[in-house]
Amino acid sequence: MDMPSLLNWMIYVPMIFGGLCLLAPSGEWAKRLALAGSIVTLVMSIVLLCNYSFDQGGVQFESSLVWIEAINVHYRTGLDGLSLPLVLLTTALSVLVVAAGWKIDKAAKAYNALYMLLLTGMLGVFLALDMFLFYVFFEISLLPMYFLIGIWGGPRKEYAAIKFFLYTLAGSICLLIVMLGLFLYTPNIDGANGKQLWTIVSSSELSLQSAAVRAVFGNGGLHEVFGKWAFWLTLIAFLIKLPAVPFHTWLPDAHVEAPTPISMVLAGVLLKMGGYAMMRITWPLFPDAAATFWVAVATIGVVSIIYGALCAIAQTDWKKMVAYSSVSHMGYVTLGLAVLTRTGFDGAYFQMIAHGITSAMMFFLVGVVYDRAHHRDLNRFGGLWLTWPGYSGWAMVGFFAGMGLPGLCGFIGEIMVLLGTFEAAANFEHQVGLVYTFGILAASGVVLTAGYILWMFQRVYMGLPKPEYESFEPVRGREYAIMAVLGIAAFVFGIVPVLIFNITDSTFESLTNMLRDGLGVLSVSGS
Amino acid sequence: MAPQQAELILTLLGMATLLPLASAFIMIILTRRVMFKAAGWFATAVMAGSFVCALVSLVTWLGVPEADRRGLSLLKSIPWIPIPSTEAGHLYLGILVDNLTIAMMAMVTLISLLVHLYSIGYMNGDKRYNRFFAYLSLFTFSMLGIVISNSIMQMFVFWELVGLTSYLLIGFWFEKRGPQLACKKAFVMNRIGDAGFLIGFGILFYQLGGKLLLPAAGGASGMVEGQVVTMFDAIKTLIEQDGHSITNPPLWLTAAGIGLFFGAIGKSAQFPLHTWLPDAMEGPTPVSSIVHSATMVAAGVYLTGRIYPILTPAAHVFVAVIGLITLVIAACMALVMTDIKRVLAYSTLSQLGYMILGLGAGAYAFALFHLVTHAFFKCCLFQCSGSVINAAHHEQDMRQYGGLGKKLPVTMACYLVCTLAIAGASIPWTEFGISGFYSKDGIIAGTVSYGHALHDTFGAAANLFWLAPTVVAYITVFYMARSFALTFLGKPRNQKLFDHAHEAPWTMCVPQIVLAAMAILTAPFLMGFWQSLIVASEPQVAWIQGADHLAHGHAMHTTHVYLLNGLAWIIMLAAGIILYIPGMKFSSKIAAIPGINLLYTWAYNKFYFDALYDTFVVGLGKLISMIAAVFDKYIVDGIVNLVGLLGKAAAFLIGAFDIHLIDGSVNAAAAAAHSSGGLLRATHAGRVRGYVLIFFASAVLVVLAVVTTVMVFGA
Repeated sequence: MDMPSLLNWMIYVPMIFGGLCLLAPSGEWAKRLALAGSIVTLVMSIVLLCNYSFDQGGVQFESSLVWIEAINVHYRTGLDGLSLPLVLLTTALSVLVVAAGWKIDKAAKAYNALYMLLLTGMLGVFLALDMFLFYVFFEISLLPMYFLIGIWGGPRKEYAAIKFFLYTLAGSICLLIVMLGLFLYTPNIDGANGKQLWTIVSSSELSLQSAAVRAVFGNGGLHEVFGKWAFWLTLIAFLIKLPAVPFHTWLPDAHVEAPTPISMVLAGVLLKMGGYAMMRITWPLFPDAAATFWVAVATIGVVSIIYGALCAIAQTDWKKMVAYSSVSHMGYVTLGLAVLTRTGFDGAYFQMIAHGITSAMMFFLVGVVYDRAHHRDLNRFGGLWLTWPGYSGWAMVGFFAGMGLPGLCGFIGEIMVLLGTFEAAANFEHQVGLVYTFGILAASGVVLTAGYILWMFQRVYMGLPKPEYESFEPVRGREYAIMAVLGIAAFVFGIVPVLIFNITDSTFESLTNMLRDGLGVLSVSGS
Repeated sequence: MAPQQAELILTLLGMATLLPLASAFIMIILTRRVMFKAAGWFATAVMAGSFVCALVSLVTWLGVPEADRRGLSLLKSIPWIPIPSTEAGHLYLGILVDNLTIAMMAMVTLISLLVHLYSIGYMNGDKRYNRFFAYLSLFTFSMLGIVISNSIMQMFVFWELVGLTSYLLIGFWFEKRGPQLACKKAFVMNRIGDAGFLIGFGILFYQLGGKLLLPAAGGASGMVEGQVVTMFDAIKTLIEQDGHSITNPPLWLTAAGIGLFFGAIGKSAQFPLHTWLPDAMEGPTPVSSIVHSATMVAAGVYLTGRIYPILTPAAHVFVAVIGLITLVIAACMALVMTDIKRVLAYSTLSQLGYMILGLGAGAYAFALFHLVTHAFFKCCLFQCSGSVINAAHHEQDMRQYGGLGKKLPVTMACYLVCTLAIAGASIPWTEFGISGFYSKDGIIAGTVSYGHALHDTFGAAANLFWLAPTVVAYITVFYMARSFALTFLGKPRNQKLFDHAHEAPWTMCVPQIVLAAMAILTAPFLMGFWQSLIVASEPQVAWIQGADHLAHGHAMHTTHVYLLNGLAWIIMLAAGIILYIPGMKFSSKIAAIPGINLLYTWAYNKFYFDALYDTFVVGLGKLISMIAAVFDKYIVDGIVNLVGLLGKAAAFLIGAFDIHLIDGSVNAAAAAAHSSGGLLRATHAGRVRGYVLIFFASAVLVVLAVVTTVMVFGA
């Protein structure tokens, strides 16, 4: 099979398996089918990785078909350095997520079928190269999540599910408006293909298109005002998904109510769609606006880091604490993108991958305890280290990776975003003080992170074992396997970060070159 | 230096660093079922291997003629994180070997080996015996990683790992509340310093385009991997480009230096982040003896030494003032503590203050030499205190001791030797003394010339720079004599405790004896290489006011005046011993004198730093986070819910409008809607599977539609 078809099959294979899950004779069979489906998908993604050429910056394995000719919509998919690591994260995590859901017996067929459908949606989002197609997959991923939270969730599941759904939908509508605007305002860039902007700008074409795009939507362009509005609308759509303060309140509710595996995939992959889309759509399309509004965006990032960490400190619900830690960690992504430096971009991207590993692990660690204790009140735990030494060892890996300790993956993203922020002093020569302020605030975030992680660790794991937890059934092999895979991944990417950077390097090179053009705006207006 | 020698040294020091990591890994993997009792000896043996590696490289290094060694650095760099937008291209990990590295490696591996050996006896019977050795080895690995750091980047990586491992070690007995709080406090306080480190790191990263390799200026000769632009070269070039000079440095350099130094404030427990160190005594005593005297807290001083050439004059004043404040307040607190480990902890703080002050004042060589001498004698003091505590069944209050010298003669002898070492004992009117004498006197001499040099800037206040360390030198002898007398001399004050006391096993005594011997032997006229290595590592920069006044050879003469030609220590030692042989009888009367009692209360309550921090920093922090959480729940989320509610209300109004005003005409439709709604409700209520099936089918239909359109209209 040639690679482009393999890539397309990879998107739909999970859905086919999802259909099979519904037809399965029993829930047990549905689980097995889902596991098989996710493994097949994983293998396919690994085959793609093996055939991927690292040196080539552009899109590979591309397939493009005309879909709706009247409005120039294509069915266009492909892989580049921006999507490949996230695709691998998604497929690898999915195997673990299915395994983590092994004990969900309530309507197991439907559960696994929906999860498989979600997997199709997620992969589609990362692989679509047409904005319309992207939008379709963005929505497809939304619905299964709604049901997965709304049906298999905790006590307030309906509220959480509808909140998640409506909030993200609001974002989608922002995106829809931008799409309409782009359709109306984009001139024919190269006569023959017409309204090229329906195609998500892929990195290989950036240098070709950016000049033309900027001429229209950039500062001084014909539709400059729309360019600025569109920047903010797409940004809000994706900041909701990320999530960033103040658009984050759906997240704690969704996480608290969602079953463990769904929390894992929500934090591990779905949030990354926001960051990915910013890097794929918002920044490349509107580099001028990104340069103009960098202060506001960086402020959102820094506020998310600090505010999220502060909220995490105050939580007594363990899962809510982890959820707020996601808000804080995703703040680094926003900040890294806002400052428009290569180091910041690399850091933001690595942070997404790292957080995909650590947050999934943290939610799983919480879930293992919750399954047995049936509560998540931090103040009622204690002494788990003695009750379960093996589990607690992995917990240490997971939470300290979240804390950004060197040698574990959380560190690389954080430090690079920080360095990238300071590096931005070169970009914004008239606002060096501001750059340093952002850097200093983001650096002080590490203290707050240590605060909530260590306080939690003290309350849950340290102390004398409590009698009510001593009768816990021991941690199973399946659970150990999941923790071990995630924990080892945290080590591997923390120690050998080039595993990611080798893939992204050439793509990011063209991406940031283009952003540098956008920065030219500042020097013009500044001088 | 021949390339083979260079390769040998790099390989050996790399091995010395990685061996403890390997042994920690093996111990963790094997768990207690496979290796429990054997863990102690296993870890000690591996540590011995590590020490041998360091020793061989020391000998090889010393084999090179001194003239060639001066300014020599070997560098091995492995690209770690790519940073393509900068000139450097990568952030590096690797090994940097120069005179300082060689001295530090030998010191740290030796002390770690001795502490491993000591722990075999001390931790005997602990139910996580194997785990303790895993942590201890892991800690040693992290510390050695700092020592061989080739860049600010690597320094920070291992900096954090030292923070983590000390967290694990302090909190080793995490069942108890004290260690829980202490380890958390230590880590968080350290992280406050780390935030400063990160800021300095970030500023340098930007200014220097990622060139953060550490070899000092002019140290590029003999590089293994060809010519490299070091951080110091880059700074020099940059400064000259900008029209700045050494006397007129740019602001960012001062800021970066102070930022990095904040990391040292955290790790070396300097004012105002000093409060974690005394609490860290909650950890097992071997931990105190390595982590909180010889290594981790030394890392801050080591870092300051490493970044010494980039500290601008203003940054030097900052460093000196921090050291000054620390050494004074810590000495005052050490005077009044009754817990033997806490006396030593505050003494450590005070001695670290000396080192930091020395570095600030430009007495680079003596400050770092003090790091080495102090490491040996303070490690020994802690081990002795551990033996005492062990003998006294975990009683740490010196008021319960007395007369223990009869029961623990070896420990007493070691304690005495080290007391003399920290006192800086010397033969009056001569220049022969025990190790501490050389290092401390050098620091004081440095502060004297620094104080004079700063006279123009600060006026009479500049005298504090030498006055305070001189006075504290007297206090130091006194509080050490006090702890010695209270513990080992006089009559037993707790007979039961005394009767059960016994000398420590040989695994504990041997390290004490070796360390006590080292406290004597590190004196320059016995083992000259310690000092000569450090002197040779001194970066040649003329940044620091007063540093050029410092003529190393004559340093001692200056201080002899202030320290009464070597009589000061004898007087204070005698005073302390005489006053405290009868226990606290006399001293409690002195402490009750009006005026003194106030000071006493202050010092006893640690100058209320903890209370202050608990209320204002921790309390305020918690309050702010509570406010943030409430704000989040009721305001941010409240707005979201309000929007939702308004939407519902609007829908309801429109619905009402619809029913009441456009009613009649659509009756039939309404009925139909009602019944279909009922149908949906039925699905919603129970039949999850059916509901999902419907949804799934529609999703599939959507995709099918997509595919069909593509096929029909597609190319």
